[in-house]
Amino acid sequence: MTNFNWLLDGSIVGLYLLVTMVAGLMVRKYVGKVEHFLVAGREMDVYLGIASLAATEFGIVTCMYTAQNGYEKGFAGATPGILMALAMAGVGLTGFVIKPLRDSGVMTIPELLEKQFGQRIRWAAGVVIVLGGLLNMGVFLRTGGQFLVLVAGLDVRYLEIMMTALLVGVAVYTILGGMLSVLVTDFLQFVVMSAGLILVTILILMNVGWEKLVTTVETSYGTGGFNPFVNPTMGWQYVLFNLMLNTAAVLTWQTTIARVLAAKDTNTGRKVYTRTAFFFVCRFLIPGIWGIAALATLGPVANTLEAMPLYLSTAVPAGLMGVLIAAMLAADMSTDSSYMLTWCSVIYNDILAPFRKRPWSERKGLFWNRTIIALIGIFLLIYGLWYPLKGDLWTYLGVTGTIYLASISVLLIACCYWRRANSWGAGASIFVSAAIPIAYLVMEQVPSTAGLAKSIGPYYSGIATYLLSAAAMVIGSMLKPRAEGRPAHA
Amino acid sequence: MPNHWFWGALTIACVIWYSTITIYVAIKGAADIKNMLARLNTEKERDARES
Repeated sequence: MTNFNWLLDGSIVGLYLLVTMVAGLMVRKYVGKVEHFLVAGREMDVYLGIASLAATEFGIVTCMYTAQNGYEKGFAGATPGILMALAMAGVGLTGFVIKPLRDSGVMTIPELLEKQFGQRIRWAAGVVIVLGGLLNMGVFLRTGGQFLVLVAGLDVRYLEIMMTALLVGVAVYTILGGMLSVLVTDFLQFVVMSAGLILVTILILMNVGWEKLVTTVETSYGTGGFNPFVNPTMGWQYVLFNLMLNTAAVLTWQTTIARVLAAKDTNTGRKVYTRTAFFFVCRFLIPGIWGIAALATLGPVANTLEAMPLYLSTAVPAGLMGVLIAAMLAADMSTDSSYMLTWCSVIYNDILAPFRKRPWSERKGLFWNRTIIALIGIFLLIYGLWYPLKGDLWTYLGVTGTIYLASISVLLIACCYWRRANSWGAGASIFVSAAIPIAYLVMEQVPSTAGLAKSIGPYYSGIATYLLSAAAMVIGSMLKPRAEGRPAHA
Repeated sequence: MPNHWFWGALTIACVIWYSTITIYVAIKGAADIKNMLARLNTEKERDARES
């Protein structure tokens, strides 16, 4: 039984969807060039950037897993959020990587890589980014649908239809308005999402109480529920791996970097990073508290991923339930639109680059960008919604993320700060960062090596990927002979 | 437990910071959108005159 009231809560959700769609469609008239479509004409200012970055990086899938972290690890489960905030603040304050990236005037990361490593590496980096990004995004729709079905008490048979309708709506305004529609709808979605997150958290703190939350974590996990270093499922290797993962994400995750590239200048991009940094603590801690409240109220459940939405379905009263669902729809829609546009930008700008012997007209460029977004939408429907994913979702997200993040972060740092870096090093780095996570996954599945994979664990494997990817860049670059005055990729 | 004050303070900081930034960004972000669209409109008119 859920507190969702069709008349009251349904009206709130319907109003939110209507306003978002109208706003998203209204700005399409300002799109005249590919630059408008992909980076909003580089006219984005600080506060719009903060709203867009925060809305993009918080989807229902984020809420589900961070709440699961709270349920399974207590307060210590928010550690990745603190690490990401530190990384983002550090990068924003120093301008590390993002300053040379924005100063270069490129539209995507691979475009910058071409200047140091050549066209082939640009293409390969584009493929790795799109592959990792799309496979990562492939699971968003179903997880989002699971949350909505559980909270609103809908029949699970409607999950596919509901999420298909939502994706079509998002795709329509993204196809027509590109980054301009994404920014404007992200702004609305940030406000709605934040209002829902804050109100539900205050309600939980008032109803369950801080003492009960702390006592539940103490009873269930002891000191490990507060300190990641003594938590048996975490430890220093978890902290180090997450520090590497989050730093790499801050530097190279294309949806995050897209805000720096759309900023009106480099300082604006840096300010967006610095001022959004603390949001990443909230991004983990607020749903984490929801997860702890679910543990305190429901006790042990069969599927820990579903604990939080099950708890919210009865804890949140009618009226606020509509705000919560609108908030979560906002979170999901902003993530979907930004992700579709971002991977489209890499496909158009980098993967299709060799096919543009002569520059395309703006009209043709816009047509292809819109077609690519439509194709990404179709891929998401088939892969993410209608094809049920098998296996552990965390491992899946970790592997797809690391394949991309390890190599691209190494390439980008080397490209910005190491003149000796060249295409041999870049190629070796891409190979190593893809080979290790895939080898680990295969070892996990093969009975004769499953024990070894378990003893290594995902965190050591992840740390090794980052370190060896960097080593491959150094060794590969040093091995390649370089004639004076010749570019690094020649 | 000595860790409790840290998580308590962090939770309070999250609620206060997030509430404040939401209101602030809601006001300033709306102005950002208005200015961005005005600049794009000017550019569009300039391009139309030149072509």
